[in-house]
Amino acid sequence: MVGVGFRREFAEELISGEHIRPDFVELAPENWMNIGGYWRKILHRVVEKYPVLCHGLSLSIGSPDALNKEFLAYVKAFLQEYKVQLYSEHLSYSKCDNAHMYDLLPIPFRMDAVRHIVSRIQQVQDYLQRPLAMEIVSYYTPVAAEMSEIDFINEVVKHSGCQLLLDVNNIYVNAFNHQYDAKAFIQQLPLSSVAYIHMAGHEQVAPDLIIDTHGEPIIDPVYDLFEWTLAHLQPVPVLLERDFNIPEMIELQGELSRLKSICHKQWKLKDELVA
Amino acid sequence: MNLLPDTYHIQQTFSDWCRTGKKVQLPGVVADRLVHYRRLVFNNIRDTMENAFPIAFNNIPSRKWDKMVKDFFAHHACQSYQLWKLPLEFYTYAVEHSWDEQYDIPYLNDLLAFEWAEMELYNMEDIPAPAYLTEGNWLDTPLVLNQEHRLLSFSWPVHLKAKRRELMTRKGVYFALLYRHPETGSIQFTDLSPWLAFLTEQLAQGITVRDILDYAPQLHITETDTLESDTLAFLKEMQQQHFVLGFQS
Repeated sequence: MVGVGFRREFAEELISGEHIRPDFVELAPENWMNIGGYWRKILHRVVEKYPVLCHGLSLSIGSPDALNKEFLAYVKAFLQEYKVQLYSEHLSYSKCDNAHMYDLLPIPFRMDAVRHIVSRIQQVQDYLQRPLAMEIVSYYTPVAAEMSEIDFINEVVKHSGCQLLLDVNNIYVNAFNHQYDAKAFIQQLPLSSVAYIHMAGHEQVAPDLIIDTHGEPIIDPVYDLFEWTLAHLQPVPVLLERDFNIPEMIELQGELSRLKSICHKQWKLKDELVA
Repeated sequence: MNLLPDTYHIQQTFSDWCRTGKKVQLPGVVADRLVHYRRLVFNNIRDTMENAFPIAFNNIPSRKWDKMVKDFFAHHACQSYQLWKLPLEFYTYAVEHSWDEQYDIPYLNDLLAFEWAEMELYNMEDIPAPAYLTEGNWLDTPLVLNQEHRLLSFSWPVHLKAKRRELMTRKGVYFALLYRHPETGSIQFTDLSPWLAFLTEQLAQGITVRDILDYAPQLHITETDTLESDTLAFLKEMQQQHFVLGFQS
């Protein structure tokens, strides 16, 4: 399955299905919960047409602040109402001192942060009665790290029992920004826990820095890394994210088709090997 | 909580940087990359306010506007986990801190209230319409109104004029009715006289048109010859516009 992030900018095109036809759509509950009027009608039409996966923005799993139970109750109701098959979030924090930041801040790679996050993931999973798929986020600087990124992630997954959302573009961006080998990094991840893949474009803003913008087409080296990664994974849903500089639908559909053909090639090969 | 005080403090410091842009000391960071977090976080807030308050954004000099958004984000702990609701907090912050006086924009509170009401109505949850009949007695049957509406009062005609020069000479008493079209979801608004604002407010309470008309003399309305016919004409027009839905069943 190859899906696309649901944006209001191309909602009508998704409903018509004339120029773009993903296998599923992904949406952020925060952008749609308690919405009425025109957009609720549109949401219902999209949900009638496509399976829905959800990717949250405001859980702030790495926050020092307490989990927001009212928010979680809304998320739970939303996931039930729209029969959402998978709920993912970010391995980052976006709230501190009771203030939302509305962006993904990097968590210090430290063991006390691991314990903190593990406990919170477990609370959320218990409450929602479903596993969380946590996304390895792109980051531009480490902050007060006492352990490696890979150890940090592995400890979180091992002790929380969460799944992983592997954003291949993020791994590419992080490998570039922090000068490590993306493939070696991916090989060290608990790949059997990967439940979902994201793909996106980015923007290089300096000779040594890439920003994860979701505003450009996916570049060839990220496609190559994606193809290499699939060879090490069981089939999982793949999502194309495009949040800014929305192109013509035919261009987005082109990216979806390219992703799909790579999935077919790699996972068909794997099926043949298994058989 | 499993976080050690040091880690907690580091996370606080990092988020302080994002909120204020004031220089901080953080161990193990690449200093010239920290700036991107402040830029990305603040741009998101700035864009949100610009989109929520397009008239205010165009009306207020950019340096003032930028200062307002920076002040708000640095000193206000944003509470909403839904970004689209954050403009309400911006508006509330402006009122609480008397920005209308501080920035010499007397109509600021009215303008922000008007623009927020439009956004809130557009996005808010559906309110099911009560049962109603399409025909009835205009004077004696309580009317059923579109529940998705806001009746606002202003001291400045921010719903009619956008330029400071035009607004500043027109201080007075104004009323605006905003409502969401039941079919299209688009937001309609109309300027109301004080009488029609009173009428709308009373109708929403289930009072009949006749009872409201009977009250007119107590509002010192003396020109009553055409009041009933004008009022009914207004209501019939508003039925065409899907604000008056019908008659209580």
